[in-house]
Amino acid sequence: MRVFFAATFVVLIALSLLAWSIRPNVAEPGKTALTWVSDDNPARREQINLFNRLHKDLTLRLDPNNTGMEKVIVQSLAGVGPDLFDCYDTFQLSAYVKSGIAWNVTDELAKLGLDPAKQTWKAVQADSIYEGRAYGFGNNVGADAVWFNKSIFDREGIPYPKGPWRWPEFIKLAQRLTHRDANGRATQFGFMCEWWQWLHFVYQFGGRVYSEDGTRCVVDSPETVAAVQLLYDLIYKYKVMPSPVEEAAMATQGGWGSGTITRFGADKGAMALGGRWWLCTLRDYKGLRLGVVECPYSVKRVFRGYGKGTLINKNSPHRQEALKFLVYQAGREYNQLINDQADALGPVVQFAYEPRYLLNPKHPEEDYNVVWRDALERATPDQYSPFINGQVALRLLNKQLDLVKNNQKTAKAAMRDAALQLNREIARGLEQDPELARRYREITGRTAPGGAQ
Amino acid sequence: MSGKLRPGEARNRRDTVAALLFLLPNFLGFVIFTSGPVIFSLAASFTNWNLQQTVPFRWVGFENYGRLLADPEFHLYAVNTAYFLLGMPLAIAGSLCLAMMLSQKLKGIVVYRTLFYLPSFTSGVALMILWKALYNPDFGPVNAMIDWVTHSLHLSIAAPQWLLSTQNVLGLDVEKVGFTAKQLGIGARDAIIIMGIWTAVGGNNMLLYLAALTNVPQELSEAAELDGAGPWQVFRNVTWPQLAPTTFFIVVMSFIGGLQGGFEQARVMTAGGPAGTTTTLAYHIYTKAFEEFQIGYASAVSWVLFALVFAATAVNWKFGNREVSY
Repeated sequence: MRVFFAATFVVLIALSLLAWSIRPNVAEPGKTALTWVSDDNPARREQINLFNRLHKDLTLRLDPNNTGMEKVIVQSLAGVGPDLFDCYDTFQLSAYVKSGIAWNVTDELAKLGLDPAKQTWKAVQADSIYEGRAYGFGNNVGADAVWFNKSIFDREGIPYPKGPWRWPEFIKLAQRLTHRDANGRATQFGFMCEWWQWLHFVYQFGGRVYSEDGTRCVVDSPETVAAVQLLYDLIYKYKVMPSPVEEAAMATQGGWGSGTITRFGADKGAMALGGRWWLCTLRDYKGLRLGVVECPYSVKRVFRGYGKGTLINKNSPHRQEALKFLVYQAGREYNQLINDQADALGPVVQFAYEPRYLLNPKHPEEDYNVVWRDALERATPDQYSPFINGQVALRLLNKQLDLVKNNQKTAKAAMRDAALQLNREIARGLEQDPELARRYREITGRTAPGGAQ
Repeated sequence: MSGKLRPGEARNRRDTVAALLFLLPNFLGFVIFTSGPVIFSLAASFTNWNLQQTVPFRWVGFENYGRLLADPEFHLYAVNTAYFLLGMPLAIAGSLCLAMMLSQKLKGIVVYRTLFYLPSFTSGVALMILWKALYNPDFGPVNAMIDWVTHSLHLSIAAPQWLLSTQNVLGLDVEKVGFTAKQLGIGARDAIIIMGIWTAVGGNNMLLYLAALTNVPQELSEAAELDGAGPWQVFRNVTWPQLAPTTFFIVVMSFIGGLQGGFEQARVMTAGGPAGTTTTLAYHIYTKAFEEFQIGYASAVSWVLFALVFAATAVNWKFGNREVSY
């Protein structure tokens, strides 16, 4: 028995040594390996290859399997996190900062002559600058505009749209471009957009998610209700946009991008609200002739800006080396690559004002790059409240939007309930978190309702 | 007392030590990866622990439990979880019927058994993606068939919206615990139940029933038949009582599985929607812990779920066991 036990032990040790000896090398000898948690796509691979070519002493590799805030936080706190990771909004940034894994690189960047607050687009600063301190650098950035299919417009003898324009004009055009068969099934939609883009509508209706000071949710304001109502009307009143059923029919499983992009690329939609990054997919559709026009507006000519920043793990043993990646993102090579790839726009403003941006020699047909830049100039980043967990807010809002989208609730009732629920959640946060309660007192001059002392 | 052990005692001690050494790796694994985290989660449920360090960590006693019991979302998701159990009797009855058919001594019956068991070999995620496509309201084969039938019968009945609809056969409200005629219909919850029945009918329950059926003494059935009993009477009075221990086991396990279930379906097929109608307690725990970082609260939900499972099992044991004769 003892012999068997000892033999098993020896075999296990031997197998462990074998596994150790054949473990894959993450970096070539003499090089430092850096891991970047980000989504995988051909554009990302090119960005990594360029970085590795420019930095002979480093090997950057992509880890697409650990994306997701919860994984990044838990792994980084446990000491096995990535060196670099992406951040998509201010709530995520605040969560990374509050959990203590985002490295404050303000001073390091300043020493390197970088100032993201001055160099990058405003829309991407929300993903890397928190309360005046830089925790990373923008990765890419964009604002949505209206794509249109030139072939469909030509076929219907309709002139290409021009901005700036307003929603009534747009709706008439979309109705002309929507066609249904005898059973009422759409054969061509005048317009396509997805409900997660609802904030694009809210901002240009002059609506807000949170009050200016972030202490209250104000989605029940008439402006926000009107924005959600327009989304609803585009489906059920004007019938120019896919209903949830039609949207589901368009959905694709997995893959990069969404059903709307592929359906639009397949000539099933005349116009669609989307970003420049759609080109990463649409360039593969041979014969597709595209145009872009600024999105129609309601009260304010503003558009939702979004992007992502790349942050450095505070606990990374290679954080000094990881800084080089942020410098790379601020440089000409990277920004030009992003602009050429059309993976949205590069984070640095300056490079979008060079002639090279306007005309990519490989894609001379893309004569609309100025529209993306102009939209980004008018872009506003997502509003954020430090008083509520962004994931909770998103879940509560999505539930109410789901009910509107499925024709179960009016926009007014849904937004009223969403505001109630979010404000309740804010009050609960103030009760539990003394730091938040203190901040609330500072901002409002009042004691937080039921606030922690 | 003498310090020397007798040969028999020494051997016994050596055997005991050897047995303990063999058990040790497994025991250590159990302590570190199972019972340790379970006890840890119990402790966590009495704290306000979240992954954001601005909230000072503190013991909150039963605050999380009080909060969840007053939380309308928790009530809704508990109702969702209970609703999904509606499919359980159908799944068990289906398994029994199938097992009875497949217990016939027919040529090639093994092939049929394999075919019916096939879904159990297939990855759950793959099956769910397949069903998601089947349920597509516009282009899915399920609605195509319904449309064909209703069209052939000249009925003007709209096919269900399946995973996109908040409706359900009981008319459960979406935002509060209660019923409303507006929600009467077939929707996402029912779609998941149907898929669950399809998966369960040919699964492990069928195998258990097949094994149990082979143990039913043939002479009992033959004696009943000689006494003039018909097939139904034989089943009702001979086969069914003999299957009682198996049925009891299946019911208990299905209850436990059902109360803990719904995570994969929500994650893969619906993201818990539409409007939270397919969010079960298991998915709620995941959302709270790993998306909203409220580890303390999520731990409390886990323990309440455990209490529910425990209570349901105890009730099953107390009342379900009465019909079981071994």
